[in-house]
Amino acid sequence: MTAVQLAHLYKTFTFNRGWGRQRKQTEVTAVDHISLNVPEGQAIAFIGPNGAGKSTTIKMLTGILHPTAGTATVLGQVPWRDRRTLSRQIGVVFGQRSQLWYHLPPRDTLELLARIYDLDPQDYRKRREVLVERFGLSEFWSTPVRKLSLGQRMRAEVAASLLHSPQVVFLDEPTIGLDVLARQELRDLICEWNRQEGVTVFLTSHDTGDIERVAQRVVVINHGRIVLDAPVSQLRQQYLSEKILSVQFHTTILPFPILSGVRQLEATDYTLKLEIDTRLMPIEQVITQVLQAGSVADMAIEDPPLDAVIAHIYTQPAEERSP
Amino acid sequence: MSLLHKYGLHKYGWIAWTSARSHVAYLGEVIARTLFLIVILYIFLQLWRVTYSETQAQQLGGFTLAQMLWYLCITESMAISAPRVAQEVDQDVRTGALAVQLIRPMSYPLYRLWSSLGERCVRFSLNFAVSAVLAFLFVGAIPISLTGLFLFLIVLPIAFILDFLMMFLIGLGAFWLEDTTGLVLIYSRLLWLLGGLLIPLELFPESWQPILRNLPFATIIYAPARLFVHPTWNDAIAILLRQGVTLLILAIGVQWVYRIAVQRIHANGG
Repeated sequence: MTAVQLAHLYKTFTFNRGWGRQRKQTEVTAVDHISLNVPEGQAIAFIGPNGAGKSTTIKMLTGILHPTAGTATVLGQVPWRDRRTLSRQIGVVFGQRSQLWYHLPPRDTLELLARIYDLDPQDYRKRREVLVERFGLSEFWSTPVRKLSLGQRMRAEVAASLLHSPQVVFLDEPTIGLDVLARQELRDLICEWNRQEGVTVFLTSHDTGDIERVAQRVVVINHGRIVLDAPVSQLRQQYLSEKILSVQFHTTILPFPILSGVRQLEATDYTLKLEIDTRLMPIEQVITQVLQAGSVADMAIEDPPLDAVIAHIYTQPAEERSP
Repeated sequence: MSLLHKYGLHKYGWIAWTSARSHVAYLGEVIARTLFLIVILYIFLQLWRVTYSETQAQQLGGFTLAQMLWYLCITESMAISAPRVAQEVDQDVRTGALAVQLIRPMSYPLYRLWSSLGERCVRFSLNFAVSAVLAFLFVGAIPISLTGLFLFLIVLPIAFILDFLMMFLIGLGAFWLEDTTGLVLIYSRLLWLLGGLLIPLELFPESWQPILRNLPFATIIYAPARLFVHPTWNDAIAILLRQGVTLLILAIGVQWVYRIAVQRIHANGG
């Protein structure tokens, strides 16, 4: 069964500039005829650069914004028409906006949300226990939110959005600003919840790592249009096969050998930055060479930035992009 | 129980409770405001002492010196306990946080109303407790009847709601204006000057009094304080009638403006 369905969804924003006779209207297209079906239980990553139309789409799917044209249904309901009814079946996390009460511990926000969503007290207690255990909330359950780390706060945010057992969860940049460890933890939790509870996850992110870890399917959007709709495995194989390896050395390094599939992006006396095409050269072999080049102080493997992935997608012929 | 659930009062009541508890955490600010209150009350006590002794009057506008100070206790506690509703709504509109509130099964204006009532109860109770102790020390007690207290406790929450509606309306101005700070300042100064914060309406020129009594400002500040020191059924009925009419007009105004504002969100985002 389909959880989320978009058919030619279209949204423009109108801006007025100037006064009197100088007044001009400018129309900007944010979402340009997007069509998409998300089956129940699927975790889909909706990615794109800033201004691509991700948040606008989420706002339409949660009923905040009305589209200019086209239709959409979430769990069979039209979001902007049935907003109140739908709000009980969906959960939403906006990474840059907190729903937690800043001066109170997370338990107070959950207590309040239980009442806002009219949860039965017994059901609430059971659900709360599960969330506290699974999201590891007990360590800061009674600590005011202002004293929590960003990672702890985001865990509590996501747990709060799952309190009323939503069937679809919209996560708008949930990992923004988190450090590597906290990001990994949150990704694991979202992934686990999706697999075990069968919750449909609609995730937007700038981070290609979020997509690889959490989603089964990826939709890349740019200038309001879908540029790629493919399984994550395909994205990984075609576009995320390149990794960036940054190395810092204690001593000056020996000349680094030329390897097939490895491009030197930057090289100084003490640092080395390599782009590795893992389809041509396994990353382990490159690391072995790096260790021979000098005494390593620090090393980091990064995914290519999203902009690079999108640029890469654009260079592909259209027929190669389709799944 | 079912009636509470039918009108969603259980959730809004809990919002007020949560807000009250959250604002206990702003203890530093509450103490600062209370200290300010102590200074203000002391200054006005001295001013009124001089005024009463210079005019050699036992009463001014029907108020004895003790009643005047107790009147000030209520008006100052009300003014100082005002939540920053307009600024919060303004921020919700500008940052898009309002859009986030719309995805919950609750009404945003009611959420803000109950949240402000919770906060105001905490602030007013603390301010009034401190100012009452001061007034008692400075001028002693004034006669308070159970009926008077009852009438005061009916009029006071309505005054809080009216003040909320005015501030909420100003906050919604953020949809059309670059900045609502100016409007907030104008409103608060009008409320203080025309609402009888520093002097009761009885001391204004006689020709002004009927106009001032019928303005919303007097139903917010003057009315509860006047009933506290001079509780009569006739005054209470007149005040409640004025509050009722003001409430109706403001509620319709808020609903109308809010509906237009929400349409703007639906069209242009938060």
